[in-house]
Amino acid sequence: MTFCLSSIRSFSKLWKSKLPCLGLGPGHFYLSLFLTDCGIRNQQRWFFLKMSPQNTKATNVLAAKVRFVKKGDEDRIMQNSSHPHLFAAGEAKKRSQMNAHSKDHTLLLKDNIQLPTKPLNSEEWDKFKEDYTGKGNFENWISSQMCCSNSSVDVAKSLLSWVAAKNNGIVDYNLLVRYLYLCVFHKQTSEVIDVYEIMKARYRSLEPGAYTLLIRGLIQSDRWREAFQLLEDFKKVMTPSVNNYDDCIQGALLHRDVNIAWNLYQELLSLKLTPRLETLKALFDFGKDIKDDHYSNKLLDILLYLRNNHLYPGESLALSIKTWFESIPGKQWKGQFTTIQTSGQCSACGNTIESIQLSPEEYDFLKEKIMRDVIDGGDQYRKTTPQELKRFVKFIKSCPPFDVVIDGLNVAKMFHKVRESQMLLDVVSLLAKQNLQLLVLGRKHMLKQCAQWRRHEMEKVQEQAHCFFADNISEDDPFLLYATLNSGNHCKFITNDLMRDHKACLLDAKTQHLFFKWQQGHQLAIRRVSPRSHITFQHSPCYDTIVQTTGDSWHIPYDEDLVERYSYEVPTKWLCLQRKV
Amino acid sequence: MSVFFKMNVSVAFLRPLARFLVPFTLSRKGRNLYSTILQRHMSSKITFVSYPDKESASPPKQLELDEWKTTMKSSVQEAAVSTVPSNKDEDVLAATRELIEMWRLLGKNVPEHITEEELKTIMECASKSSKIKYLNFLYIKEYRKRAKQNKKEMKAAAKAEAKKDNLLETTEEDKQKDFLFLRFWDQRENIAVDWKCAQAVQFGQPLVFDMAYDNYMKPRELHNTVTQLLESEGCNRRDVDPFHLYFCNLRKDSAYHIELVKRYKAKWDKLFITVTEKSYVDLFPKDNIIYLTADSPNIMTTFKHDKIYIIGSFVDKKMQPGISLAKAKRLNLATECLPLDKYLQWNSGNKNLTLDQMMRILLCLKNTGNWEEALKFVPNRKHSGFVDIFKHPPEFMNRLKKAKTFNSFPKGTLSRKTQIWHKKTDSLKSN
Repeated sequence: MTFCLSSIRSFSKLWKSKLPCLGLGPGHFYLSLFLTDCGIRNQQRWFFLKMSPQNTKATNVLAAKVRFVKKGDEDRIMQNSSHPHLFAAGEAKKRSQMNAHSKDHTLLLKDNIQLPTKPLNSEEWDKFKEDYTGKGNFENWISSQMCCSNSSVDVAKSLLSWVAAKNNGIVDYNLLVRYLYLCVFHKQTSEVIDVYEIMKARYRSLEPGAYTLLIRGLIQSDRWREAFQLLEDFKKVMTPSVNNYDDCIQGALLHRDVNIAWNLYQELLSLKLTPRLETLKALFDFGKDIKDDHYSNKLLDILLYLRNNHLYPGESLALSIKTWFESIPGKQWKGQFTTIQTSGQCSACGNTIESIQLSPEEYDFLKEKIMRDVIDGGDQYRKTTPQELKRFVKFIKSCPPFDVVIDGLNVAKMFHKVRESQMLLDVVSLLAKQNLQLLVLGRKHMLKQCAQWRRHEMEKVQEQAHCFFADNISEDDPFLLYATLNSGNHCKFITNDLMRDHKACLLDAKTQHLFFKWQQGHQLAIRRVSPRSHITFQHSPCYDTIVQTTGDSWHIPYDEDLVERYSYEVPTKWLCLQRKV
Repeated sequence: MSVFFKMNVSVAFLRPLARFLVPFTLSRKGRNLYSTILQRHMSSKITFVSYPDKESASPPKQLELDEWKTTMKSSVQEAAVSTVPSNKDEDVLAATRELIEMWRLLGKNVPEHITEEELKTIMECASKSSKIKYLNFLYIKEYRKRAKQNKKEMKAAAKAEAKKDNLLETTEEDKQKDFLFLRFWDQRENIAVDWKCAQAVQFGQPLVFDMAYDNYMKPRELHNTVTQLLESEGCNRRDVDPFHLYFCNLRKDSAYHIELVKRYKAKWDKLFITVTEKSYVDLFPKDNIIYLTADSPNIMTTFKHDKIYIIGSFVDKKMQPGISLAKAKRLNLATECLPLDKYLQWNSGNKNLTLDQMMRILLCLKNTGNWEEALKFVPNRKHSGFVDIFKHPPEFMNRLKKAKTFNSFPKGTLSRKTQIWHKKTDSLKSN
């Protein structure tokens, strides 16, 4: 019942905040609602619906909740209510798993027709078809239902033979593909080969779905080499997907053909596809039994590939890497799962991890790219105007290099209850006490006296820091980036903005990685639990989270299986590999 | 079918001996087919045993499970069609055609017939998803075309039927009637409309469509833009007091121009609009121009009859914000946006409206000046109703203004309040 309680809590907050401005009317309205509904579980649904016009965000949340209520039954809600709230991390995943779970076990369909669990004969199929009342083709419908619930191959086979007997021994392509899916799913290799023969005989070329299934099925069998021929055929019509390559590479390794596996891997990379972590894991797993320098060099290349593309292995791959290193004879590698201290030292071996700071060339490159792609972007008028840009550049040149650049509007709008200029003044004076050169970026409307922006407070801000005010319709973030980059490596910037839209303006992945690295090292986010508490800054790491080596050691960050990581976060767990000399 | 029966019989015959036969038949090549069938059958039987209720089903009633495979394999020759592709390009083309055919067999949304030109467009698509999207588009197009064709045929049949009936009737009574007018209404109407438009060209208020966006758009978007332009021109033509339309920055032989001429055909040269390669800045004084864009910070309060409004003819499916605002900024023009948030409870969807909706709204504003009337042309799916601020009792509004909580005011409560109030007034009226 937590969500009920939490919504009541937020609801009372709303009530409190809205009451003064509304006068008595609406207040009474909600108060009565509150009294009648509090604690009555059966009327929750109605309660949410009534609540919903409050604001759009709440509407979405509640609407989703209501939808969910409709979908499931009451028991499921009771189960779910033990979790913090609907959108907490990992909740979506859990929900999807729950749905998949229920799907697996129900053979009951919406028309209350039970899928056959054993092969039927013609009469039974005929009767079954008569019972079918849905629209559309019966054979299509039943075969797709069987695929969804993973019926046994024999049932599907009996369906096909019934269809074939009706239709002069001809089975349609889509039924055949669905049958093939079931065969592959249940790993019935001989059936897969039969279907393969039939398809080869009847059709000159296939479509990606069938190719994928055939490759996956054949690779397990003795005729695995034909899967590569299929892959070649596939390439004629379309670029194969990563999964096709994954299947082929795993198959080649299963039959101990290393050369083919590596060739396919190279091909995959040359197509600019990102290999699946399972593929890499298979290569590492296979490497345990091979004592070959050539092979191990290639595996090290994979690690460098991970480094260059900012990829992080999963937990199982990390384990495979560890066991592979430990299996290298004579070198005595020792692997440990560990974390990195805030000082940037590995807890296991004490070595320092690579610094987050960019090299001078990288720094200049990034600076130029930001200027060209983010601020200018082909049309200076879109984010600012040329006059303003000139004014800004001149302003930057006239000031000494800054230590901290502050995004005034972002900082000021952190709390709704604090006056915006007050909040800004707090942050600025806190930093000014440390004798830092400050720059506050803002917009011109901040200078106008109003309820949120007091003039005397802004004057105090201007005394303690350099200020630059952009036009009201210009964007201030690009200026922030440029001012920080221009001041040099020591300069940091303060904002809680993740800058994802500006990152997206950078065109290639390499620059985006550089930007992200620089952002990790230079962005300070404000942590302040409540308006009254002290202002603290979230520390930025001094080390770079990336696969790295010193020759005698490897440090590999990895994702834990149970933790869901967003794209703008980095893993916290590391694999430390050390060689004993 | 004879094969089918024979096989069934032989299998039934061999079944009791199966256990003993399997080791022998494996070595004999002549019996290969039978043995594999037997083996399959055996293996499938083994899995059946795992179902406890399976025992009750008697074996002879059982359907032969592998029969269809042999017929499928044997019907090879009829299905395989071999064409010898001459060069590689054609080979790829043929392969794509086959791929689409296979997709169709699988029941995906792909068109049945496809032209060479469309096939080439598909080949030019960069990714799989773009190919699928384009094929889906063609599928829908084909489906609609077919539906239209069917409807047309049905209509023609009904008409023929009616004519037949009519013929019978008219032969019976062929009456003369007195009419005031001959039935040339469409023609008359067109002439009247043209007359009005000609007057608009002389004395009407200018309304500019800015056509300088062709390099921001893909062919599909450009096509949509031209469709919307046609629609808005049609609206304007039928209005009581039409605008004098300007198509500015329309370069000759640009993609816009080609598409417009293609769609208007011969009518293009007879339209009562001004088409020019010049910019609106050259045609009108800068102070009188107002660029309409949804990104503008200024909100339009009233329709001014002495200003020149500019609409960017731009369909933006890629969501590149601020292009038209940048344009206005560069030329230092005044900008305005429609007061959508002020009058409507916006639900979802883009604040950018289509060109014909803009046109209708502007025409309505010009004729009546009533925002609520004008904003009825905003699609209903985008908003959940009007914010009826003007129908409130004045003291209530004043209190709101004093409290300066107008912006933070929860819209839902406002509308509910107003609804209640409306009900009251309605009941009063009815009383």
